[in-house]
Amino acid sequence: MAEKFHTELQNLRQDTLGMAHLGRDMLRSAVDALIRQDPTLAESVNARKGEIHDMEVRLEEHCYHLIALYQPMAKDMRFIACTLKVINASLRIGRYGKVIAKIVKEISDKPHIANLMSLPHMADLVIDMVDDAIAAYESDNLTLIEGFSARDDTVDALRHSIFREGITYMMEDPKNISRCTHYIMVARYLERCADHTCKIVENVHYMETGERIEIK
Amino acid sequence: MSESAIITTNNVNLWYNGKRALESVSIKIPKNKVTALIGPSGCGKSTLLRCFNRLNDLIDHVKITGEILLDDKNIQEPGTDVVTLRKKVGMVFQKPNPFPKSVYENVAYGPRVHGVKDKDTLDTIVEQSLHHAALWDEVKDRLNDSALGLSGGQQQRLCIARTLAVEPEVILMDEPCSALDPIATAKIENLIDLLKQDYTVIIVTHNMQQAARVSDYTGFMYLGKLIECGKTVQIFEHPQEELTENYITGRFG
Repeated sequence: MAEKFHTELQNLRQDTLGMAHLGRDMLRSAVDALIRQDPTLAESVNARKGEIHDMEVRLEEHCYHLIALYQPMAKDMRFIACTLKVINASLRIGRYGKVIAKIVKEISDKPHIANLMSLPHMADLVIDMVDDAIAAYESDNLTLIEGFSARDDTVDALRHSIFREGITYMMEDPKNISRCTHYIMVARYLERCADHTCKIVENVHYMETGERIEIK
Repeated sequence: MSESAIITTNNVNLWYNGKRALESVSIKIPKNKVTALIGPSGCGKSTLLRCFNRLNDLIDHVKITGEILLDDKNIQEPGTDVVTLRKKVGMVFQKPNPFPKSVYENVAYGPRVHGVKDKDTLDTIVEQSLHHAALWDEVKDRLNDSALGLSGGQQQRLCIARTLAVEPEVILMDEPCSALDPIATAKIENLIDLLKQDYTVIIVTHNMQQAARVSDYTGFMYLGKLIECGKTVQIFEHPQEELTENYITGRFG
């Protein structure tokens, strides 16, 4: 029976990785659509929202079934606790992708101001964090998540920088207000994605060591 | 364990016919807490339990070394009165084993052996013990019926009442629910939780979920050694030893 349970845990991990990659891909595609002003790509992100929601429900139910049927303990229990967090974080990241994709349709009529400022760079940093967090969950490798606190600080600093720069462009010309507000919102969404990624990392650390950490 | 210990073992070794069953076991059993001993079959958990009231004395060719302190007195000393010891350290076994007598007589038997003769005193002891064992309401109208007519769960609670009647300090339970259905098991588990207000309980169980549910402290044994002992939450959430981790997650045993 223990063997069956551990096979179930492996299946759960694979399915959760599938969802985490879907959330990550929705975010990546949304940012690409924003950069390239590509409404078709943006629409493809929007089209996947139902898929990620269905995955969330199915995977959470899988976790609850495993808890109810097998009463997991120690690392098995911590793995399921971590997996529930990964499921939640992946859904949030995917949904932020969807929200960014929605913005693309509204601001694809004119060229970007200042080449989107630091948004493409910020997005790359955030998506790298997501990739490393997913890989750490997949491989139980804590070295991948070292230095996450500093990476999160960099993302926070970029959001602040984009906010200030956006305000400057708005003050220069009120016609920029709508577009720059969207940029500031995208920066905020990316920062939230980084925060959700930090939650994954905190839980991977708990899963591996049993100790709680907080990435500030 | 920061709580005061009622039983302490120091470096206890035990051999059955020259075969080592316990190896350098040192454990502190905190007072008024429930301590569970878990581990695969043959790991020595029942053997250790039976050391606490010298029940191993009844088996031939047993050799024990090391100290077993109850209230700071070494119960291994030759002068120890084992009858008094077993009054202080009562035991409930895997299979309910009531005497083929009435419910009343089962509970009154121990106090009588220890010299209580007054009928009113015995009545009080029987009622209190049955109350403590959460059995009174079910048997108060059939005290003179045979104990063998009770259900398995009731018989087990009667055995607990029989133990309580001689006012022990410690109650040893060796797989007390393994012969019971889930409802009777739940009643015994609730009872264990109530008993710790007045007694120290040490329970051997092969059911890890039961250990997790009922105990404050858990000791994991393997091949005669105490591998790890700590707060139950810590043992089941984040054990320190890989062996413990592997056992409680079903990776061996």
